[in-house]
Amino acid sequence: MPADLKDLVADLRERLAAARLGGSEAARTKHTDRGKLLVRDRVDALLDPGSPFLELSPLAATGMYGDAVPSAGVVTGIGRVSGRECVIVANDATVKGGTYYPMTVKKHLRAQTVASDNHLPCLYLVDSGGAFLPMQDEVFPDREHFGRIFFNQANLSARGIPQVASVMGSCTAGGAYVPAMSDETVIVRNQGTIFLGGPPLVKAATGEVVSAEDLGGGDVHARTSGVVDHLADDDRHALAIVRSIVDTFERPQPRSIQTHEVEEPAEDPATLYDVVPADTRTPYDVREVIRRIVDGSRFHEFKKLYAETLVTGFARIWGMPVGIVANNGILFGESALKGAHFIELCNQRGIPLVFLQNITGFMVGREYENKGIARDGAKLVTAVACSVVPKFTVVIGGSFGAGNYGMCGRAYDPRFLWMWPNARISVMGGEQAASVLATVAGRPDDEDFKAPIRDQYETQGSPYYSTARLWDDGVIDPADTRRVLGMGLAAASHAPIPEPSYGIFRM
Amino acid sequence: MLEPTMRVLIANRGEIAVRIARACRRLGLSTVAIHTDADADAPHVRACDEAARVSSYLDIDEVVAQARRFGCALVHPGYGFLSERAPFAAALEAAGLQLVGPSAAVMERMGRKDAAREIAVAAGVPVVPTGAEAPFPVLVKAAAGGGGKGMRIVRSADEMDEAVAAAKREALSAFGDDTMLVEKYVERGRHIEVQVLADAHGHVVHLFERDCSTQRRHQKVLEEAPAPTITAEVRELVTSSAVALAAHVGYENAGTVEFLLDTAPSETGEAAVYFLEMNTRLQVEHPVTEAVVRVDGQPLDLVELQLRVAAGEPLPFTQDDVTVSGHAIEARVYAEDSFGGFLPQAGTASIVRWPAGQGIRVDHALEGGQVVSTSYDPMLGKVIAHGPDRESARDALVAALEETAVLGLTTNTGFLRTLVESEAFRDATIDTAWLDRVDVGTDVPAPEADVPRVMAAWVSAMITAFDAGHPFQADGFRLGGPPAPTLVELDRDVSVDRHAGTVDGVPFVMLSAEDHVIDAVVDGHRDHAVVNVQPDVVEVSYRGQRFVLTPPDRLADTAAAGDGVLLAPMPGTVLDVRVAEGQQVAEGDVLGMMEAMKMELTLKAPFAGTVTAVGAAAGHQVALGARLFVVEQEEAG
Repeated sequence: MPADLKDLVADLRERLAAARLGGSEAARTKHTDRGKLLVRDRVDALLDPGSPFLELSPLAATGMYGDAVPSAGVVTGIGRVSGRECVIVANDATVKGGTYYPMTVKKHLRAQTVASDNHLPCLYLVDSGGAFLPMQDEVFPDREHFGRIFFNQANLSARGIPQVASVMGSCTAGGAYVPAMSDETVIVRNQGTIFLGGPPLVKAATGEVVSAEDLGGGDVHARTSGVVDHLADDDRHALAIVRSIVDTFERPQPRSIQTHEVEEPAEDPATLYDVVPADTRTPYDVREVIRRIVDGSRFHEFKKLYAETLVTGFARIWGMPVGIVANNGILFGESALKGAHFIELCNQRGIPLVFLQNITGFMVGREYENKGIARDGAKLVTAVACSVVPKFTVVIGGSFGAGNYGMCGRAYDPRFLWMWPNARISVMGGEQAASVLATVAGRPDDEDFKAPIRDQYETQGSPYYSTARLWDDGVIDPADTRRVLGMGLAAASHAPIPEPSYGIFRM
Repeated sequence: MLEPTMRVLIANRGEIAVRIARACRRLGLSTVAIHTDADADAPHVRACDEAARVSSYLDIDEVVAQARRFGCALVHPGYGFLSERAPFAAALEAAGLQLVGPSAAVMERMGRKDAAREIAVAAGVPVVPTGAEAPFPVLVKAAAGGGGKGMRIVRSADEMDEAVAAAKREALSAFGDDTMLVEKYVERGRHIEVQVLADAHGHVVHLFERDCSTQRRHQKVLEEAPAPTITAEVRELVTSSAVALAAHVGYENAGTVEFLLDTAPSETGEAAVYFLEMNTRLQVEHPVTEAVVRVDGQPLDLVELQLRVAAGEPLPFTQDDVTVSGHAIEARVYAEDSFGGFLPQAGTASIVRWPAGQGIRVDHALEGGQVVSTSYDPMLGKVIAHGPDRESARDALVAALEETAVLGLTTNTGFLRTLVESEAFRDATIDTAWLDRVDVGTDVPAPEADVPRVMAAWVSAMITAFDAGHPFQADGFRLGGPPAPTLVELDRDVSVDRHAGTVDGVPFVMLSAEDHVIDAVVDGHRDHAVVNVQPDVVEVSYRGQRFVLTPPDRLADTAAAGDGVLLAPMPGTVLDVRVAEGQQVAEGDVLGMMEAMKMELTLKAPFAGTVTAVGAAAGHQVALGARLFVVEQEEAG
């Protein structure tokens, strides 16, 4: 008996509350005793008073390295600073000294991708000991490893996307390049340090004995080395300087997404709990979800009477126009064609796309294969892949197989992808996978063979397994869907929308 | 006779000019204001029918000329400025104009203290015993004296010779004259004064007394009527003495005879009251008399009576018609920072709210937007409360002062409120030197900033939340959790959790917020304040006290100022070294000077601390980056 959606949300909130604490109580006390603000307090103090914060993947790394690395040791997200939306990347020094685990790197890079896609300034609040040395093979050498952070900084800066760093603790080794590669940098005196090699390494290498402050403290870098541009007395002072720096940026260009008067949905988003069954296998009308997300609960449906398992249509979210593509059953060839047509419409009109994903997959069987469902599916996948308008995906139920692709899964570069706590994600259902594998192994009825496969799919299909690995941007309370999509749209509106063009549609 | 065709020139400014204009308007008399350029749009100018520019309120020739030019039959001088200048009275007389006040001759006689004392003696009014008559303690003072020089308090006969000799030496060196006066020294006195009114037909009445003992450096702060501590005998003595004095000099119009009441019982057990001086004009504190005095059950308008007397009318009542009803207390609202050493304040009033209600009178000339300078008297207005007895008047005044809010500049209203509420004032134990003697911060404590800060923070957070209607609206949204509190920067950071209804953890319930007035329950206690939150300034008026909670500019004084090591910013010559190692310095103190590239550079202490190193000597050439001074910061706390 699957849990009620409300219970799943309560569980989500508990997990989030635990992750927000950061490191152990001892680590946090040690941190604050030094006069440093905790990472989320830093973020709060950096943001404009009352600013919302669209935190990205707060449950990253959950369960991957024991329970040791909440939020993967780095807080990332979008909030308002000096009146404009910025991406914030803030190390949590109470979590293993803010060192970079594989997921920390992935999360940092993901934040930079968000900044890149949406043309948002990057503000780095640095307090990190650098790479987590025991896992150096998973954080250092590859294309999407530590070095990519600085590659991104250089290229973001080249594209006119401001890079600002505030050094509020250690910035050692590779980490030293975060402030050094930034356009403008602040350091906190007697607290922030930047050096390629710390005092122990210096002593080992050359025998020189030097204090951290004399080696690479605030005064050294502000007065002598020129590595930083501003010297702050404490965290709050540093954050005030960062705010002031952001205030000097040119105001954003006109938004690429039109905004109309905002209207609340006629149906309260909180009643989503009542209309969505927690068990993804129970069918329901996805229009009930749409009505609880869009302005005035108004939905201009497209091809309502054709291929009814895919619902398409236009609406507004927080005053911004969207084209919604939502599953209402399994995908057939017609559904794929309808979806591709609608996606082309949205690209033609420059209207962002919202995918509400609840898909067990494309229909299988001789009739459908022979009619060329793969050909139609390919059209949908082509349309999704080549879309130039901002895309947003919310996994509101199942996300299985090629349905994940046609409905703009992570591989299709939606600007943001969120999951509901009832979501399931895997290449196919656990039961199907067990049967297929058992059949291939010639043991079709062997329960002992099938059970571990089912267990594996059960575990890996969990939204928390997904979010830990950054397959998404976070597990959200369904009632927050409208708000989160609104923030995503507002963020996306900073980047221009190019002219559409497509690959070959298999006809 | 006072005729409606008569024009009155009001030779004053501020609240008293407004108050006189109001009386004239009621009587149908047209008014002419005088004003300096700075006052061209002042409330007193707007209160009058016409306005005449003068270069100074003290310029007798100009004021008289304007009175003639506008055909003013009467000139009301108010108080201060020219009101007690005999030459002004004489100039008006010469011009054939009528001063609303006594004749130049009477003003002249009563204006000289020695002469006034002789007149008082002649009229049978008690004066301070002098010479051999004076009992101990006595004050020995130089006849030519002033400023406390050549002055000694002597408490017994055997101290006398030595004290006189010392005082003489001082006096001789200071004034070149060692003539000594000896008079009784009143250690604790109450200031009692009697309002008198006399017409040109030989009638003199008194309107009972006032007590103005709450003073600071001889500046009255609180005044009341009737006097709360005197016996019927003393009342009879002071009122009859005042009438006798006025009659004796042939006084006309309104005047005040001031007495000092010794609170220490004399040897005979009788209260000792001594004549101080006579003020030949309307007093600031006349409203308390107006509030309590009745003739045929009706209150009087002293300005009206002054005008009628000046126009030659006889007093319309006799002494027997005059009665007293209830009690009144006045508080003077000054532009001064009472809790900050009583420093004079100036600025532009942003929000001004004067109290109103049953038994409350406010005479003022201050409105929002008005510039208050230190050029003129710092009094902004007076709040007067009347009640059936002293306690009810006192309660009403406390409440009225609490309602009084002046923002944009600091006033003494919060101090007044605390003072009126104090036990010392309640028990009428405040003597004329009390405020000079006590420690104001302890005995009249300033209101705490806690509640005002909480209110300002909540209002700031409310204003922040006006930014709504878009997905990044300022509602503190957080994923899957309660909204983040709003961090409000005031004089210190305050965390406002509107969702939980707390400010820095203190429960807060807003009841209403209208027109800057916040009514709220703070930590279970209902309270109210006037809150003004602007982008550049945050101010609260709470219990009459102004709190400026504007955040310090975190960027103004960057850390670049400061590790306390002062390096030579250019190669050059040290001109001056003003400190030595080990010396304590305050922030901004000049440590030294140097000359470089034709510029003189002042090297200042970046913060308070101790000079731990001096690497410079005057006349020495120093290189770029030479360590000139090191200041070590004082440990906080």
